[in-house]
Amino acid sequence: MIRTIEASPDEIYDIELEHSLLEANARLARENRALLDAHGITAIDVMGAIGSGKTTLIGRLISRLKDRVGVAVFNGDATTSCDTDLIAEQNVPVVQIATVNGCHLDANLIGKALRKIDLNGLKLIFIENIGNLICPAEFPLGSKARVVVVSVTEGQYMVRKHPHMFLGAHLVVINKVDLAEAMNVSVAQLAHDVHMLKPDIKVIPASCKDGIGLDEIATELVAI
Amino acid sequence: MHELSIASSIVESVLEFAAKNEIKKVLEVKLLIGELMAVEWEQLRFCYAAITRETAMEDSSLEIEQVEATVSCPYCSFRGRPKYWEDALSCGPIATLQCPECGKAAEPEQGKECVIKTIKYVAGP
Repeated sequence: MIRTIEASPDEIYDIELEHSLLEANARLARENRALLDAHGITAIDVMGAIGSGKTTLIGRLISRLKDRVGVAVFNGDATTSCDTDLIAEQNVPVVQIATVNGCHLDANLIGKALRKIDLNGLKLIFIENIGNLICPAEFPLGSKARVVVVSVTEGQYMVRKHPHMFLGAHLVVINKVDLAEAMNVSVAQLAHDVHMLKPDIKVIPASCKDGIGLDEIATELVAI
Repeated sequence: MHELSIASSIVESVLEFAAKNEIKKVLEVKLLIGELMAVEWEQLRFCYAAITRETAMEDSSLEIEQVEATVSCPYCSFRGRPKYWEDALSCGPIATLQCPECGKAAEPEQGKECVIKTIKYVAGP
């Protein structure tokens, strides 16, 4: 909403703009969502720190889901294609989104990725966000749900150090629980911290190595 | 560093407005930023100063006003300031989405703003 006024030279004006800075991204996110909805596709934004196990988790979930539903993956990665290569081994459509130095994916990049693949027959798209627990929080992509992956190797205070990411999440996976004892990290305390921020959120302890929690996560995602 | 994205968005919007109107120099940009937004003000100011150089916005001041968070609870109809997690970190309490009244899940109502409120400028070709 911009009010236009007649300007006289050298006069000082103080005008109201009320211009939302994140609206451009939000609008593109709504467009992405409309496109996905029209095809009956649920997009899941998978967020978490570098090394939290996002790619491995997505890989394990694809193995469980790809024979039942059409699955595709968008891999956000600043520089490399190693995650994309790993997912491509599973013979599902995968798009690498290289942000170069960007710290988050945005709706524009997802819009471009959506035009790179055949959407017909797909049911689920995993969007692996950039490994970062702060920046992606403010940039909706058009996904129906946000999954935050936090692993016990990130320490006991990971959740309270990054509250914003959890406030916007729909499902939290506490990953690598097989290492909890070695790391001297309490999974129950991590879950408690998540519930301090958002009491109704589902928290699933998981281990991609031992297969713990993976069926439950897959069931949750298909039900979204 | 999503502050750079936000700073770029400010500069783009204001310069677009300046191009459509007779604006000689932008003096001040006032922002409203919600308490629930993960935006670091100092970094935002730094980015703003850097990318406004050699534009009509050079040396303009960036004023930031915080919009307090409010939540509403679908369970007990509470509306107001959120519950704060007081002892979570030493640097200050964290706003949560736990209802201060009943402890169930509340919805954010206010505090997600990221808006250019006003601009002050000198008119002229």
